[in-house]
Amino acid sequence: MQNKRHIALSVNGERIESDIDIRMTLAEFLREDLGLIGTKIGCNRGECGCCTVILDDKAVYSCTILAIEASGRTVTTIEGLLNNGELHPLQSAFIEHDAVQCGYCTPGMIMSLKALLDREPHPSEEDIKTAIDGNFCRCGCYPNIVNATLSASEKMLQKGDESLNGC
Amino acid sequence: MGVDKLLVKGTTPPQLDRELTVIGKPINRLDGYEKVTGNARYTGDLKIPGLLHGKILLCPHPRARIVKIDVSRAKELEGVKAVLTKDNTKGWLTYWYNVPQIALPECITYEGQEVAVVAAEDIDTAQKAVGLIEVEYEILPPMTDADEALTKPLPPIIADENYPLRDNIDRKPCLIERGDVEKGFAESDVIVEETYTTPTQCHATIQTRVCVANWDGQQLTVWDSTQGVWYSKGALAKSLGLEPEKVRVIVKYLGGGFGSKAWAQRISYYAAKLSMATGRPVKIERTRREEFLAHSHRFDCKFIIKMGAKWDGTITTIYEKAVLNIGAVSRYDPMSTIWQTSNLYACPNVHLEQMGVFTNRGTTGPLRAPYNMPNNFALESHIDRMADALGLDPLQFRLKNRATYPRTHIRPELKDKEMKLAFSSNKLDECMKKVTEAIGWERRKGGREASNGAKKRGIGMASFVAHQGGGGYPNNANADVSVNHDGVIRLYAGVVDIGGGQKTIFSMIAAEELGVAVDNIDVIYGDTEDTRYAPSAHSSRCTAEMGPPVLKAASEARQKLFEVAAKMLDVNAGELQSKNGDIYVKSDPSHSISFKKACLGIEPNNPIWGSGSREANPEDTLFSSFGAQAAEVEVDTETGEVNVVKIAVAQDFGKVLNPKLCTSQVYGGIEIGVGYALTEEGVYDKKTGKMLNSSFHEYKIPCSLDIPIIEPFFVESEDPGFAYSARGGAEVVNTPTPAAIRNAIYNAIGVWFNDLPITPDKIINAAQAKKEKVV
Repeated sequence: MQNKRHIALSVNGERIESDIDIRMTLAEFLREDLGLIGTKIGCNRGECGCCTVILDDKAVYSCTILAIEASGRTVTTIEGLLNNGELHPLQSAFIEHDAVQCGYCTPGMIMSLKALLDREPHPSEEDIKTAIDGNFCRCGCYPNIVNATLSASEKMLQKGDESLNGC
Repeated sequence: MGVDKLLVKGTTPPQLDRELTVIGKPINRLDGYEKVTGNARYTGDLKIPGLLHGKILLCPHPRARIVKIDVSRAKELEGVKAVLTKDNTKGWLTYWYNVPQIALPECITYEGQEVAVVAAEDIDTAQKAVGLIEVEYEILPPMTDADEALTKPLPPIIADENYPLRDNIDRKPCLIERGDVEKGFAESDVIVEETYTTPTQCHATIQTRVCVANWDGQQLTVWDSTQGVWYSKGALAKSLGLEPEKVRVIVKYLGGGFGSKAWAQRISYYAAKLSMATGRPVKIERTRREEFLAHSHRFDCKFIIKMGAKWDGTITTIYEKAVLNIGAVSRYDPMSTIWQTSNLYACPNVHLEQMGVFTNRGTTGPLRAPYNMPNNFALESHIDRMADALGLDPLQFRLKNRATYPRTHIRPELKDKEMKLAFSSNKLDECMKKVTEAIGWERRKGGREASNGAKKRGIGMASFVAHQGGGGYPNNANADVSVNHDGVIRLYAGVVDIGGGQKTIFSMIAAEELGVAVDNIDVIYGDTEDTRYAPSAHSSRCTAEMGPPVLKAASEARQKLFEVAAKMLDVNAGELQSKNGDIYVKSDPSHSISFKKACLGIEPNNPIWGSGSREANPEDTLFSSFGAQAAEVEVDTETGEVNVVKIAVAQDFGKVLNPKLCTSQVYGGIEIGVGYALTEEGVYDKKTGKMLNSSFHEYKIPCSLDIPIIEPFFVESEDPGFAYSARGGAEVVNTPTPAAIRNAIYNAIGVWFNDLPITPDKIINAAQAKKEKVV
C-alpha cells in the first residue's frame, strides 16, 4: 500500500475520493479510473496538448500532472462542459465553423479555449492563437478554431448582456 | 472530351432534373456533436473485459542481425501470457500494402523494427517483460543515405535474404521519354540545371496507432486504427491464415491518418496473433516515440532538373532525375514523381527518370501527396528559376507552357504508349488567375526594394496536377442503400471517416438522390460487417471512388420506391420526382405523398434495395484535379524566420459537395505544406543511422501561430464521371504549397533555396553570404 495515497478532488462539479497509485498521471486517472475518455492522450509527455483539462482555473496538460497533485483541487474536463444537456457555446461554435476534422485534438483544444474565455471573455485573434499554441491539430483546423472561438465569445457576451437586461 | 457517363457498372442513373437541395450546401459534419463532447469512442477508448496489453520490443539499431534472443526471464514474470519472437513465429508474414514483410525477422533493416512481442495482464507488466528480454545483436553499419547507397558497388545487405519484391525495385530507373532531348537542348536559348532536395517527413497523427484484437475461437474482431477497414481485413486474413469471412475490422473514429494508416497497421498483426495465442482480447498502443520510429514516413528525395527554353518562353526540353530514399520497406510507385512533370507542362522533348533506393532509413509510404509534393517543389521551383533566367513573369511563363492534354498515363504499364489523352476537366488557367489576383501579383515587382529594414516581403506561386481515383483493384468501391417499411433509410458504405467528412459526404449524396434530408440517412460505415468492399480513405480517392456507387445505389432505391408510390398516387413511376421528403408528380407537384408514407407500401421485413459498384477509370481519359497557390511571406534576414503572411488557394476539384468540409481540407493541406516547406525534417545520425528527433519538441509541426491567412477559391468544372462532378480534395491541396513559399522567399530576399525545409540557419547564412558579396 506504500505506493497508494488517498485523494479527494472535484471533477466536473462532483466530489471524488479515491485511493490511487501515486505514479498515476491525472490523464490516466480521468480516463481509466473515472472513465472520462473525452480527455485524449497523444504523446503522454507534455508535447501535443490533446490531454488538456482545466485545473482550478488554468489549462494544463493532464499527462504531466500526477493525479495526487490534483487532490484538493477542481478539475474540469470536456465532459463537464455540457450544461443540462446543452452544449457550451464553444462546442456549438466548433460544430458550426467545422473546427473539427478527425476530432482527436478537439477536447483538449476546447479546454484550452474555455480557460481563455474564462479569464478573457473578449479575446483577440492573437490571444486565441497564443492560448492554443500548445495544442497541435495535424488536420489543420486552426483558422476555423479561431473563428469558432471569436463567434463563441461574441455569443457568450450577448447572452451575458441579455441576462443583465433581464435583471 | 472526357467521359459522359457516371463511372459505375451498369446503366447511368437518370439525372435528377431538378435543383439540388443538399449537395453544395454547407452542412455541418454529422459526427461533430460526438467529437466536441468527447463522446466519440476511438479505438483506444474501448473497454473490453479480460483485456490483455501488448508491448513490442523494438530494435534500437537500423541494421543488425539477431544472434540470440532469451525470453526466459520475461516468460517467468507473473502476469505475462505470451511472448512471440522469430523463434516461435517462423514463416509469419505481415503486409504493408501488398508488400510482404517478415513479422519478426532475424535481420533487422530499420531502427524500431519489431524483435519480440509480449502480452500481459497490464501495461506495466508488459513493459517490464519487454525489458527482461535479452537480445544479442550483431550490429552492422547502416546505410541510410540514398546517394551513398548508390555509390556502393554492391547493394548493401539491407533485408532478410528472401525479402520479396526488392529486386524488382531497388535502383531500377523508370523512364518517361519522348522527343529528342539532345536536339531539344541544342535548340534552346537558355538552359538551367539545378539540384533540389526534400526531407523525410513524418505523419505526426495526433492519435498514436492503437489496436484491440479479439479472437473468440471462431472469429477475429479487430478494432483498428486504419484508413481502410477492407484493406485491413484482407491483409490480416492473409497474414494469419484465416478465411477473410472470419475477420471483422471496425474503425468508428480515427485520429488522423494522412496516408500512414492507409493499410493494416503493424501493431494489428501482433495484437491479433497475441489474441489467437492467448484466447483473450489484446490491446497494443504505440507511444509517440514509437510512432516516429516504427511507422512509414515520406521518403527524402533528390531531384536534378535541367530545362531548356526559347527566348519567347517556350519550354523545349526537360531532363529530370529523381532519386527516392525508400527506406527498408516501401509501398512504392515507380513513376509517380515524374508523372507530374510529364503532364503539367507541354514539352516535346523529355527524359524523366525516377529511381527508388532501398536503405536502412525506416519504412516509407503514402503521406498526403507522397510523390507529388516533393516533385512539385522541385519542378515548380525550377519553373520560377527558368522564368527568371528568361526575364519572364512566372505566371505568364506557366500559362504559356501548361499542358492542355496529358501525355503520360498514371499506369506504369501504359507509360510507353504514345498517348494523346484527355483530361476529364481542367481549369488550371482560371486557378492561376484567381490566386495571383487575390495575392496582388502586381506587387511582386519591386517588392524587395520596397521592404524596409531586416524584414523583407515577397510573393510567389506554384501550380499542380494530381491524379484522382482509379476504381480498379484494390480500390473497388461498392455501396448499398436500403429503404424500409418504417421509413428508415440505411446507407452501407464500407469506408472510414478519417476526419475528411466521409460519413457526411456520402449521406449527402444518398439524401440528394432520394430527396430527403441528410439526417434521415442512417450510415453503416467503418465496419466490414454488413458492408461490401470499399477503398481505403487515402490518395484523395474516397469521393472520386465511392461517390458514383453511392449515387447509383440511392438512385436505384429511389426508382424502386417510385414504383411503390406510383400505385399510391395512381400515376406512372416515370412521372415522379422527390425532394425535401416528398414524392410528387413532376407536372403537378401538389399531387404528392410524403416519403415516409410511400414507404408504408414497402412490404414489412422486405426492404427495397439499391446497389452501386464503381467502374474502373477508362484508359483514354486522365482524371485529374488541378490547382494553384500564391503565397506572400515576410522574411526576417536577422533572425532567419519566415512568416507566411497569406496563401491564396484555388482548386479545381470538379464540384464542391460541401463547401464547409472542402474548406477544411484546404486548411489541412496548407498546414502540412507549410510544415514541409519551413520546419519539418527527420534528422538521422550519420554514423549510427538513428533518428535524432523522435518527439514533437524536436520534430516541428506547425502550430496555431504558424498558419497564414488562407483564402480559398473553388473553381468548379463539369466531370460527369463522378457524383455531381466531385473529385477528391484532400492531399492535392498541399502539393504546390512548399514551392509557392520558396518562390516567395526568393522574391523577398533574392536567394534561391533548393533544399527543404528552409530553416532560419539557411536564411541567415544566405543573407550573410549576400552581404559579404556586396561588400
